[in-house]
Amino acid sequence: MSTPRLGYPNLGFGVGLRAAHYPHILKQKPDVDWFEIISENYIDSQGRPRSVLDQIAERYPLVMHGVSLSIGSTDPLDFDYLEKLKRLAAEINAVWVSDHLCWTGVAGLNAHDLLPIPLNEQTLAHVSERIRVVQDVLERPIVLENPSSYVTFAASTISEWEFLARMAEESGCGLLLDVNNIYVSCYNHDLDPLEYLRGVPHDRVVQFHLAGHTNRGTHIIDTHDGHVIDRVWELYREAYRLTGGCSTLLEWDANIPDFPVLHAEVLKARRFIDTEAGTAESITVTSDNEWEAPPTETSVPHPLTFINADVE
Amino acid sequence: MTAPQYDLGTIQRWMQSVIMYPGGVAAGVETDAARKQIDITAADIESVITRSQKLDAVQRMEVYSGAYYARLMECIRGEFPILMATIGEELFDQFVVGYLNAYPSQSYTLGHLGDNFAKYLEETSPREAGRTSPWAEFLVELARLEWTFNVVFDGPGAEREPKLTPEQLQTIPAEKWPDARLVPVPCLRLMQLSHPVSRYYTEKRRNADAVIPDPAETYLAVSRREYIVRRFELSRPQYELLRRILAGDAVGTAISRAAEYYDGDAEQFAEDLRRWFRVWAAEQFFLRIELP
Repeated sequence: MSTPRLGYPNLGFGVGLRAAHYPHILKQKPDVDWFEIISENYIDSQGRPRSVLDQIAERYPLVMHGVSLSIGSTDPLDFDYLEKLKRLAAEINAVWVSDHLCWTGVAGLNAHDLLPIPLNEQTLAHVSERIRVVQDVLERPIVLENPSSYVTFAASTISEWEFLARMAEESGCGLLLDVNNIYVSCYNHDLDPLEYLRGVPHDRVVQFHLAGHTNRGTHIIDTHDGHVIDRVWELYREAYRLTGGCSTLLEWDANIPDFPVLHAEVLKARRFIDTEAGTAESITVTSDNEWEAPPTETSVPHPLTFINADVE
Repeated sequence: MTAPQYDLGTIQRWMQSVIMYPGGVAAGVETDAARKQIDITAADIESVITRSQKLDAVQRMEVYSGAYYARLMECIRGEFPILMATIGEELFDQFVVGYLNAYPSQSYTLGHLGDNFAKYLEETSPREAGRTSPWAEFLVELARLEWTFNVVFDGPGAEREPKLTPEQLQTIPAEKWPDARLVPVPCLRLMQLSHPVSRYYTEKRRNADAVIPDPAETYLAVSRREYIVRRFELSRPQYELLRRILAGDAVGTAISRAAEYYDGDAEQFAEDLRRWFRVWAAEQFFLRIELP
């Protein structure tokens, strides 16, 4: 058994840093444990986003979360991109660097989406080797997240949880367990989220993600546009228990609320983690029809964040 | 029957060509690009993508193909808000779909997504007698302006460096001016436009009913101070003067060039020059002055 969380600290309860909250954070200095940034929004920034980030880095622990590593792609790794990641990580003292188990494009293109991979021996060997290369460049273990997915492949021969376990074992990487994504993918692929959760290597889990989603009846889209639903909180409680506790982060990327609402949402997590001490609140899971968010016509899977210009 | 096994690269090239095809998944599977990778029809798609209890394979793939356009459209809308408000969401979105097909993203960052949008609009503009129509020309210039704002906003700036002040300018001996070189801040950009798009941009932000203006040659400086993008309308002589300074010419050479476009007398020109440099220094256009 490896050192829990690869030796990374439990940072507590954090939120994703979004540009809409810059003024509040700089002025109010909210009592948040930590922030996670979307790496690509900052690795080239020489303007306000980077300036704000530097100020936040002076006060809060930061974790870098990328969306373009494309670890599963058959295109060559982008070493310029990796060097930029490494430089920013050093400059803001990032506690760890994460991305997703996915590919984002091939043949030189980028779809800017977290596309799923067929889960089989060929992919496992391919991804594990690329993780090792990335870790050599970054000089640190990376942390990879299970993405939400909407298709499965005829070429898949391994369950996602087994793939994650073997990938972590073979490459030495950590896992970012997105509890909402487990729920979303299992709903979409007719799987049992508890079986998934119990199948991942708990000592490799460095971090949790939580988010809201949109249920369209036939499938769920990972929209990050609302509150975390009760069934995901239930999964989180179990995940926290199985892992012994990890840094927990809330993502909210569409219909972004005021910062206090966002912060209050992640702090709900505290209700679910003290079961053994007898202090956790009990959650009553309501019927399926009641707890799902209403579908919208513009449901876009997230994370998608892009910072728009401030023009006088 | 055992499903045919395709290797990872083949599946990825196939899936990408299907989800990036604007005509939907069923048609995308049957394009030459997709069939070059995996030669199947939509009826056979479950040999690659499995179905769920509630959705068939085409419906499941449509989540990705729909999201591809929706996601990138959302980004480009945010980068060109006034252009979209001008032509309406429907036409704007049509342009974006065409653009994404002509210039799909090749970068790890969405920061470059709009790099070629103005160029694409220009390439596809309707032409009248071999010339771009004024309406199309206006839209292209508006796209150029909004993209310049994006580039200046997050590109290199000088917020953390000392800048040349109006007071420092006054200490430069007159005889040293002609051979001096002004070093501009890295965020300073100049634009020559055939329509008053900056004035329109301001008006449109205040008033949704703003009318597209008639063509008129205009000149603009775009820069950044305290991380906010700022615009300055310029006269032709001011534009020529700054253009030469940005090209690295000595102040004397730049002034000679500007003089070619100046209508007043020499005394008035000298007074205007002093005023312009004072204003530009106050607006932090220059890092420093290098004396011979």
